[in-house]
Amino acid sequence: MNILLLSPELFRADGGIARIMRAYLKGVCDGCGPSGQVDSLVLNDQPGGDPRLSLYSNSRLRRNEACAGSRLRFVTRAVRFARTADLLVCGHLHHLPIALLAQAFHPGLRYSLVAHGIEVWRPYSWLERRALLGAHRILCVSDYTRRQLRRFLPTLAPERLIVVPNTLDPYFADNSTRPFVNSPFIAPRILTVARLATADRYKGIDTLIEALPHLHQLLPLARLRVVGQGDDLPRLRALAASLGVARAVEFTGAVDDETLRAEYETCDLFALPSRREGFGLVYLEAMAHGKPCVGARAGGVPEVINDSVGQLVEYGRVPELAEALAELVRRPRDSEVVRRHAASFAFPVFQRRLAAALS
Amino acid sequence: MCGIAGLISPHVGQAMREEAVTRMVARQAHRGPDDRGMHSEGDATLGMCRLAIIDPAHGHQPMTSPDGRFTVVFNGAIYNYRELQPELAAGGWIFRTNCDTEVLLAAYALKGANCLKLFRGMFAFAIWDAREHTLFAARDSLGIKPLYYAILPDSGLVLASELNALLASNQLPGEIDPAAAGEFLAWFSVPAPHTIYRRTAALLPGHCLRRDSDGRVTTAAWWSLPAPARATGLAGNYHDFVHSLRGQLDDTIRAHSVADVPVGAFLSGGLDSTAVVGLMAKSGATKLKTFSLIFGENGFSEQASARLAAQAIGTDHHEELITGARVASDLPRILAAFDQPTGDGINTWYASQTARQGGVKVALSGLGGDELFGGYPSFRDLPRLNRLLPLWRMLPAGLRGKILRQLQARSTTRSRKLADFLAHGRDLHELASLQRRVLPEQAQLDLLAPEARTQTERLGPFHPLFEEFTAELAGASPVQIISAWELRTYMTDVLLRDSDVFSMAHSLELRVPFVDRTLLEWLWPQPDYFKFDPRVMKRALADATADVVPAAIRQRRKQGFTLPFALWMRQELRPFLEDTFSPASLGACPWLEVSAVTQLWQKFKTTGDTRAWSRVWAVAMLVAFANRRA
Repeated sequence: MNILLLSPELFRADGGIARIMRAYLKGVCDGCGPSGQVDSLVLNDQPGGDPRLSLYSNSRLRRNEACAGSRLRFVTRAVRFARTADLLVCGHLHHLPIALLAQAFHPGLRYSLVAHGIEVWRPYSWLERRALLGAHRILCVSDYTRRQLRRFLPTLAPERLIVVPNTLDPYFADNSTRPFVNSPFIAPRILTVARLATADRYKGIDTLIEALPHLHQLLPLARLRVVGQGDDLPRLRALAASLGVARAVEFTGAVDDETLRAEYETCDLFALPSRREGFGLVYLEAMAHGKPCVGARAGGVPEVINDSVGQLVEYGRVPELAEALAELVRRPRDSEVVRRHAASFAFPVFQRRLAAALS
Repeated sequence: MCGIAGLISPHVGQAMREEAVTRMVARQAHRGPDDRGMHSEGDATLGMCRLAIIDPAHGHQPMTSPDGRFTVVFNGAIYNYRELQPELAAGGWIFRTNCDTEVLLAAYALKGANCLKLFRGMFAFAIWDAREHTLFAARDSLGIKPLYYAILPDSGLVLASELNALLASNQLPGEIDPAAAGEFLAWFSVPAPHTIYRRTAALLPGHCLRRDSDGRVTTAAWWSLPAPARATGLAGNYHDFVHSLRGQLDDTIRAHSVADVPVGAFLSGGLDSTAVVGLMAKSGATKLKTFSLIFGENGFSEQASARLAAQAIGTDHHEELITGARVASDLPRILAAFDQPTGDGINTWYASQTARQGGVKVALSGLGGDELFGGYPSFRDLPRLNRLLPLWRMLPAGLRGKILRQLQARSTTRSRKLADFLAHGRDLHELASLQRRVLPEQAQLDLLAPEARTQTERLGPFHPLFEEFTAELAGASPVQIISAWELRTYMTDVLLRDSDVFSMAHSLELRVPFVDRTLLEWLWPQPDYFKFDPRVMKRALADATADVVPAAIRQRRKQGFTLPFALWMRQELRPFLEDTFSPASLGACPWLEVSAVTQLWQKFKTTGDTRAWSRVWAVAMLVAFANRRA
């Protein structure tokens, strides 16, 4: 099967969508069959290629073209590349109209959509509705996202909506066999990783900072490390200062993969009490390092975190969040159980699910 | 109907547990003046006070199984207990009483948690398993009977029928939760599972709770609204539908009339209560006593309709005059009965008092008719608005903002409500959730102090269980969606909660035959066009009860059951409100923005805007509640 994969980005940024689209690229290259070929078109990446491309592809990749943010180029190339494709996989809802256009030129073309999360939790325009109804498959990262698609477009055929949970990046996951070293009660280190954008306040980083004074009553030396960059950073710094916990919160800024792995390795637990995660890849990354997680009982997170690997709290309830953090420090989860849970989302599992969904 | 209490803790000795449970039972003694009991075993102590309705001479609780393994405390009534007895007897249980409590105990002993779906009725109960050292508790499917609990820091668990009783255990701080106070301002009740107090929770309707021997507590749903599958047994035409509906209504009335004590009914003169009374009479109830509240003020009393219904059906009808002066005088007692603050429910307090003084121990009410049969305008209006939303979204953002600002600036509640719908609503679920929001988000936030405001703002404009309810309603029809939102929010958090608290304050068992799982499960999958006619509200109910409800009542336009508060608040209740909104009183509410609350009260006094009474009254109830605790 010849597959054309449209991605918003693969290597330009290291956000959740870029990571998962790399997994999709590797998945379609591995699964397109002995006579199949893959074309990859990336909207926001810069031309010139990235040395990591070879990790996520194989000889089935015929071409990978980066459009440097040019939408016109992205559309025209997509229509042209679609001529030899049997299946077009849209990496974002915004690509669906392009798929419709390509199908108009090449009537035999089928197309599928990867539905990540909040971008599909809303009412759709006429064009989006039409494109969604014509999709061969819609690959939802969680059952929650699947339900939201059905909620906002009840006429979607349920059998076309297939849950393919996100996976760990096979080249990011921790492959070490180091035992989980736990240092509770001394100076527990809580890690959070997120884009610190004003538009992403739903991630709940501010609630984590607000939970610190409560947490300090139970664990006076607890510290919070915030990995990420964005325009909300000044507000979060000011919040920490106003609550008198500035010395207990460390903002690291954006970090590379190696440093991020070290952050996961050296924390006691991971927390991201976000209200609107389609899936929450960062929880998987933390769990791959054996770290228990605190998340909010919202979106797709309850499908990733269960009682044996962490704790769920209600979004926005700061005292409850502080208690959950303290509880996980006092009674950490078995790191091997946590790692095994992360392994159930490993790349080979994802690959099998993807192959079944696209067949 | 009873009050139950329990304390399970490996770190509190039996004597101290029994002292605590004695206090808890005493605090809710009004729920059951006929009997009391307590049982301790292992780490657990269970207690209860009983209002004896079925087999009054027997049925003492806590009731223990003959082998000593299971001990139950039970609040409620299992109406089909007689039908269940033969099956359980065949399973090997030898009945010692003719009481529904023993049927519940036998069913749990023989079938475990699977017994819940056998029960038709209202219930909240807890069962201690002395062999496994586990506790199992459950609440009925639609939340008629309450159950509150708290997990203690030492991995203990405390539970009770009322929050006041929970606090009487002295195991909890009893601090008001600022976020819950914020939620109250939005909904005029604190939506379950939250309560007004920190560290306490309400078990959700249709949920059960299990505490394992290691202290781990889990809750899970045992019932949810029927999935929109292609059900069998659907009516083929409207005539068949109405005929079958009548059969279902007769059945639920028969079930809810089971008692060994006198049974009466509330009769407001509306379609729901008249249908209940008419069906009771038709099913053979003789010398039926009915009770109505009347008011001196014009435009509030439904006296004529209630009299017309009572006359036509032939009941022994009692009226009770409620005046502002009487409410002012009774207010301290009413506030003392509050379990949580509420902006509603005073009518139930008086109706229950009237019924109890009128000589009945059980009364039936028409509560739930609007939710089941589409009696609210929202059933008609929200689907229409939902169809317009795509057009609204096509307008330029600037124009939408301008329209919203103009709507928000207008003084009418309707305009502000529309602004709220347009600003936040994206589909029918969101519209239905916003429908029962009383204060728009900004008005709510303005009344809160900064910290509470920040916490409340994060929760967003929708109901806290929005995600859970939308998941439960996946694929549901428009009428089902609105009906479910009404059932799951306003009916559960306001109507049923207030009905339980205020009827039990007078030791009256209030039964709600429309809030019946069997009826609901039959009605739920029936086609929308049979259940709801936008031109004639509650047409199906009216047609199904045409022979027992006078035509004048069937054809009357819906009149909400409201009290003349706007008038009373300017006269008889004014001293109470002046005191409530005084700086000293507001000092007990650090989560309120004192200047904004004072301004709200001053504006109500000076502008004569009678439409604002409900928000002023609800805030007053919150402040008075906090002062009661302070």
